[in-house]
Amino acid sequence: MTSTVTRHGPDGRQTASGPEPAGEPRGGRSGFAWLVRLPSAAVHGLRRSAGTTPGRLTLIGVGLVLLALLAGTVAGIQLGERKSTIDGLVDHREPLTAAAQEVYRSLSDADATAAGTLLDAASEGIALRDRYDVDIARAGAALAKAASASAGNPQAVAQVDVLSRQLPVYTGLVETARTNSRQGNPVGAAYLAEASQLMRAEILPAAKALYEIEVERLSEEQDDAASVPWLTGLLALALLGALIVTQVYLKRRTNRVLNVGLLVATIAVGLAVLWAAVAVTFQSVLVGSGRSSGSEQTDVIVRARIAALQARADETLTLLARGNGTAYEQEYQSSIRRLSGPNGDGGLLGEARDGTEGLPAADHVEAAVRSAGAWREVHGQVRNFDNGGRYKDAVELAIQTEGDEGATAAFTRLDGDLARGIADSRQLFLDDTTNASRALTLLSPGFAVLSLVAMLGSILGIRERLREYR
Amino acid sequence: MKRWTWLAGVLVATLLAGCGSAGTPVDPAPVGSADRPMPADTDVSGKLEQGGSSAPSCNPRQSLRPNGSIPPESTMDAIKKRGYLIAGVDQATNLWGFRNPHTGELEGFDIDVVKAIAHDIFGTYDPNTIRFKAINSAERETVLAGGDVDVVVRTYSVTCERLQKVAFSSVYFEAAQRVLVTEKSGIENISQLGGKKVCAAGSSTSVNRLAEAKPKPKPVVTNNWTDCLVLLQQGQVSAVSTDDTILAGMAEEDPSTRVVGPPLSEELYGVGIPKGNEDMVRFVNATLEDFRQNEWRDRFRHWGLQRVLGNQNPPKPQYR
Repeated sequence: MTSTVTRHGPDGRQTASGPEPAGEPRGGRSGFAWLVRLPSAAVHGLRRSAGTTPGRLTLIGVGLVLLALLAGTVAGIQLGERKSTIDGLVDHREPLTAAAQEVYRSLSDADATAAGTLLDAASEGIALRDRYDVDIARAGAALAKAASASAGNPQAVAQVDVLSRQLPVYTGLVETARTNSRQGNPVGAAYLAEASQLMRAEILPAAKALYEIEVERLSEEQDDAASVPWLTGLLALALLGALIVTQVYLKRRTNRVLNVGLLVATIAVGLAVLWAAVAVTFQSVLVGSGRSSGSEQTDVIVRARIAALQARADETLTLLARGNGTAYEQEYQSSIRRLSGPNGDGGLLGEARDGTEGLPAADHVEAAVRSAGAWREVHGQVRNFDNGGRYKDAVELAIQTEGDEGATAAFTRLDGDLARGIADSRQLFLDDTTNASRALTLLSPGFAVLSLVAMLGSILGIRERLREYR
Repeated sequence: MKRWTWLAGVLVATLLAGCGSAGTPVDPAPVGSADRPMPADTDVSGKLEQGGSSAPSCNPRQSLRPNGSIPPESTMDAIKKRGYLIAGVDQATNLWGFRNPHTGELEGFDIDVVKAIAHDIFGTYDPNTIRFKAINSAERETVLAGGDVDVVVRTYSVTCERLQKVAFSSVYFEAAQRVLVTEKSGIENISQLGGKKVCAAGSSTSVNRLAEAKPKPKPVVTNNWTDCLVLLQQGQVSAVSTDDTILAGMAEEDPSTRVVGPPLSEELYGVGIPKGNEDMVRFVNATLEDFRQNEWRDRFRHWGLQRVLGNQNPPKPQYR
């Protein structure tokens, strides 16, 4: 390469003749023919100018400027997008996942509570009634949030559609049940069983699917935020390489070691590459830890909490179902196995315990495991009462809100432990992800500015050498 | 001049395009129809399991002669030592066995029978001497066969088929299968229900009789009788067909319904007792002798059964 260039060097002195062939076709009024010939003419012109040293230098200079411009622009856009993806995780995606979770949780809780309000005939169930009302209000509000975000995702739209159509039907049935009970009609319990059936067969599966879609979307965006920005990396390294090669070439051609412009450019690009590499690595690690110890643990604890809620609904419905309760009791057993395994130390709680080891949520998960064990014991007692014909004692033990021996108290403790575990895990996600976003602070504009410096340096450096040929 | 003609052409074309129809407005959320909710395990397929009537013919009214004594080592003695009677009952059938939504207590005509039996075993009435076990229609034979309960008092019709597996007391109530419809439907007879949906609970004698009706209605089978009332109130069935006793309870809950039509069958309610506990059958028959004599009319009026069933007298027992 170098040898060919040196040979052609002295020959190509007629720089003026370069543009002429390009100008010629434009003069003739032969329609668009000149446009067709333009690329070949340009290639021809470039080859002519590459034949001379100043021509080469100009080309190198233009090449460096273009590369610096490209690298700066791509990096500016890519890194900027990356930061906004991470900010979006915190400001948008994770809260929406939490909204979908809230829809699922509050509806499960409503199902568990509605049966209790009918069982708790004697004390009129003010506390339970309040809890049910809050559940429905929360579910409605969270559903509106989730619905606004579901646009563009046909699967999510289908689930939101089911939820928003069936939720009013559900509340209607619960109110019919309540009115009948108030009037002393035993058919109220049948309406409540029907409402629960609607909840379990249609509403909760839709809420579950919606929650899973949102978890999937969160995890996809976390993937995006932790991916390697290949294009930026390749362009920046190409620019760095081009600058170094240019300097080596110039040193050979002109025997001058130092070219301030190019040196500044090289340092600027080197700095930019180093900064980006460190910041992006740091950020990816933080997003990764926000995911593995934050959002993924949140998901496990959320699923545990919902399994607990479903078991609670089964517990109360077994008592309300009036002779038809065996099916609910079987479902209770399967829900509780999902929650804490066959021996009380596995299942979702076991998974959460392994996942949160050493994390702030660990204490709460540990407490939840204990509460679940206590609840299982109380439930066994409730079943013994009911199976032994002591229905009133069974109901009393299952739904009494005062004191802390009852199933309500044990379940409320479990639910509270899991809620705190979820809050801690979400906090961890928020902290890590926000720090990840901070790691990218100023990187995008900084990279652009350093690319600009590299561009100016290249222009000045090449211009200095070009001057020597005048 | 020529230059202006094409411009005029374009203008005319634009105006014409503006006059044409732009399609119909978009329906942003099309919903054709709403699915009505249904009680769990409602079977609308219209298929019925034909109960094999292989049982030999018998007289279901006949039971063992009464004997009110409690000899040592008897079933009643064991219950007395245990401290409570276990009774399989209904919790959801108004007027017969239901939990009063206000007090949470079980009440009804069947519950009164249980209380009378407990009173005779323990000598006094004390709520702690009874443990109620809520069961559904299909569980009646299972709990008796498994010995989980001492008695089943749950609108339990004595049939020859059931007598194969279960022992029965003498008859304490005579019911008849009829039809419950909404007042405004104008239906007066089961023959007007051909091709219409009629609800009945599974594992009941009523559901088999629906299959025999002509013209044939479309049976809808549920788990509990109250689910049938829910379906009737939601307009998903045209009628509920079962014993007039149960229908009387539904009519009590919903004043817009009427019990109509002639009796389709005779249903004889007896107390179900595990097969083999003959001493218990005799003891319960002694209790029922007394119950029919003294309390029966009072309880009949208390539950307002005369409003639907008219005035009735307690059935006359028959013994082998």
